[in-house]
Amino acid sequence: MSRALSWRAVVVWALLAVLPALPFMSKFYLLLAFDALLFGAIAMSLDLLIGYTGLVSFGHAAFFGLGAYASAVLLERGVVSLWACLLFAVLVVGLYALVVSYFSTTRRGIYFALLTLIFAEVVYTFFRYTQTFGGSDGIQGLPDALLWRGVPIDTPLRKYYLVLVYLTVAYAICRVVVTSHFGRVLVAIRENEDRARFLGYSVQRYKMAACMISALLTGTAGAIYPIRSAFATPDLMLWTESGEFIISVMIGGLGTLAGPILGGAFFTILRDKVSSFVDWYFIVIGVVLVLIVLFMPKGLLRWRQAA
Amino acid sequence: MAAGGVILEVEGVSKNFGALAALSRVGFAVSQGQVFSVIGPNGAGKSTLFNVVSGLYAPNAGRVVFRGQEITGLPPERINRLGIAKTFQITNVFPEISVEENVGVAAQSRSAESGRLASLWRTADVEARVTELLEAFGLVARRDELAENLSHGEQRYLEICLALATEPTLLLLDEPTAGMTPGETKDATEMIRRLALARGLTVLLIEHDMSVVMGISDRVAVLHFGEKIAEGTPEAIRNDPRVIEAYLGGGGD
Amino acid sequence: MDYLIAILLPQLLHGLVFGAALGLLALGLTVIFGLLGVMNFAHGELYMLGAYAGIAVVGVTHSFWAALVVAPIAVGAIGAVTEVATLRPLYRREPLYGLILTFGLALVFREGVRQIWGGDMRRILPPFTGSTPLLGMTYPNYRLFLLVASSLLLLAIWLFFTKTRAGVLVRAAVQDAEMLDGLGVNVPRVFTLTFAGSAALAALAGLLLAPIFTVYPQMGVEMILLAFIVVILGGMGSMGGSVAAAFVIGLAQSLLTLWMNPQRVAIAIFAIMIVVLIVRPRGFFGREGVLE
Repeated sequence: MSRALSWRAVVVWALLAVLPALPFMSKFYLLLAFDALLFGAIAMSLDLLIGYTGLVSFGHAAFFGLGAYASAVLLERGVVSLWACLLFAVLVVGLYALVVSYFSTTRRGIYFALLTLIFAEVVYTFFRYTQTFGGSDGIQGLPDALLWRGVPIDTPLRKYYLVLVYLTVAYAICRVVVTSHFGRVLVAIRENEDRARFLGYSVQRYKMAACMISALLTGTAGAIYPIRSAFATPDLMLWTESGEFIISVMIGGLGTLAGPILGGAFFTILRDKVSSFVDWYFIVIGVVLVLIVLFMPKGLLRWRQAA
Repeated sequence: MAAGGVILEVEGVSKNFGALAALSRVGFAVSQGQVFSVIGPNGAGKSTLFNVVSGLYAPNAGRVVFRGQEITGLPPERINRLGIAKTFQITNVFPEISVEENVGVAAQSRSAESGRLASLWRTADVEARVTELLEAFGLVARRDELAENLSHGEQRYLEICLALATEPTLLLLDEPTAGMTPGETKDATEMIRRLALARGLTVLLIEHDMSVVMGISDRVAVLHFGEKIAEGTPEAIRNDPRVIEAYLGGGGD
Repeated sequence: MDYLIAILLPQLLHGLVFGAALGLLALGLTVIFGLLGVMNFAHGELYMLGAYAGIAVVGVTHSFWAALVVAPIAVGAIGAVTEVATLRPLYRREPLYGLILTFGLALVFREGVRQIWGGDMRRILPPFTGSTPLLGMTYPNYRLFLLVASSLLLLAIWLFFTKTRAGVLVRAAVQDAEMLDGLGVNVPRVFTLTFAGSAALAALAGLLLAPIFTVYPQMGVEMILLAFIVVILGGMGSMGGSVAAAFVIGLAQSLLTLWMNPQRVAIAIFAIMIVVLIVRPRGFFGREGVLE
């Protein structure tokens, strides 16, 4: 894929930018759109790892949740600058990701998946049972964050644009990485890790880097979450959340950038729509997952040239 | 054929897998610019030898010295960067990307950005080198094809392209003509000889096809049950009674 | 000495019982993985289904013993159907697909149970109460029963796998699934029966432990993580290793709770798992090269 944006991508972005102006966009739908785009961004950053590098992480919810808690902790103490929250989240998630990626990438395939899962479980258990962070209730009742002095991010409209900007930046970063020298090596690692070593690549370093980039992107998405929801809870870090991220990537298509964004958005909307009708949306999700693995393991919407 | 100073020394290399002695005190020297073949019946330890030289295994005893530097036990990526490139006996390419992308990722490992932070955003400009290699092996027409869709012979050529793209000084070819038709084998042999001359490469070759071995080798070493039983010019080896006995007696070609 | 008897011994016994149940789960996981190449993320839910099936049977028959017979069979049947419908096509694909698919199945089972029985904690009353004086300490009868029952169960399983033709076949196939092809055995049927058997074992474990722990839809989630840890500690593909490791973890967990609160214990166990995965991913008895 070349670095030039396709016209399709530009059109979609323009549509997203004017979305709030559409007549039916109530506050509720704006927040739903927020969730859809945020989830899509996370799915995209996860696909960097799964689709491009071939490493399936079952612990991404921990990156997301840690980012959320980092933000929440600052907001709770009155540090309401958006930039402070983002920075702090990058620091915290970065440290955790350093440890996880270093140890997890020493092993391949299913062992990598299990290692990321276990690390995430440790994080979940820690936050779930530590009262300083609110235990199972988490941190609630957070104030609005400030873009800068006098500009609070309080309305659904502003929150929506925040996530749109975030998605744009994240997409740009992913695109640059994926089309770069580095990105090509990731694909080679996915295709044939051993061969890549014999071509002179220190494969573990590349895997670590891919893991960290993916983790940091997810972590900053997590940092944005409490700005919308005004809380952070341990449930954000459940491994079932990680599973939902993976589902989104698989729905959207492995190995592309736009696919997972659509997958994540689709999944979020599906979840919202289904759970408003029925109580048992988990069953629907589970069935969808089974069907996808059986019939379209490369993803529903996979196409070779990404937008 | 031209030969310069010694470029690779294998000294007393032994490698065991549990109770199995795959290599026992194997030693020889390869000179710059030579085509040096290693032959022997199945199971003689030839691939194990390549795996030790290329860094996949560390030997249990002995050393490997490349251009005066000891490389025993170094990991494969380090050894490749020092100038040794290996092809695999069973085709080992990147299946779901195109031929051009295959050679591209191999070539870019030698570009300036490789391994540096800048590689996160810079692209490597390897198109010229990729095209040059593809032309040398007649793969230009197939450049957009997925590697897994190539014919067997084409994939063997792609194997060699990948190795050459890393600009090696020493090329380890593990049965490059395996599975090729006689016509393809002849072409491949010619190509290897031409390449070696044109690029000043030293070639270490494992082969089963005797016509290939006799045709292009400067020197031949024979392994049998992990030991070197003979070494010399192709003619000397062809007539060596121990070699003949090994092939007839111990498990043939 | 008093300390030993009053505190340590019960914990030890409890650890053995828990380890036995974990061993049943881990054994099932190992066998499924060895034979079908699938890491069954839904195994914890099969364990959970055993408890709920038990609740259903007890509700109708008021007999725990009836449940002990019917529940495993019922869950075994569910397992068989699941295997044929969803897992069969994944045989010999990358294990990660199995992981993701069974993850979906787990969601379905968990939510299905929650819909039918609700999300509240439930209890199954033990079939008998009272305690017995043992070594200077009284020990609940049901737990003693569990100790005996699980020992007998493990013994029976061991006999099955070493003395019967079917068992020896499955054991060999767990080591090398491809050998089945050459033996003229009805491979699909072996797979289905093995999966059903593993499901039944998991269900039995769930039912047996139910009177001690509470029953709720998430109960399988914690067990599955531990079971994964056990399988990897013992070595993927090693059945004896799984059982051995199960006892190690069961005892470790029991004894550690004497000194640490449950959350720290959980983290400690996870830490062990991480270390083992890094240092020796094939576990104590595993074969080299499996999935490394």
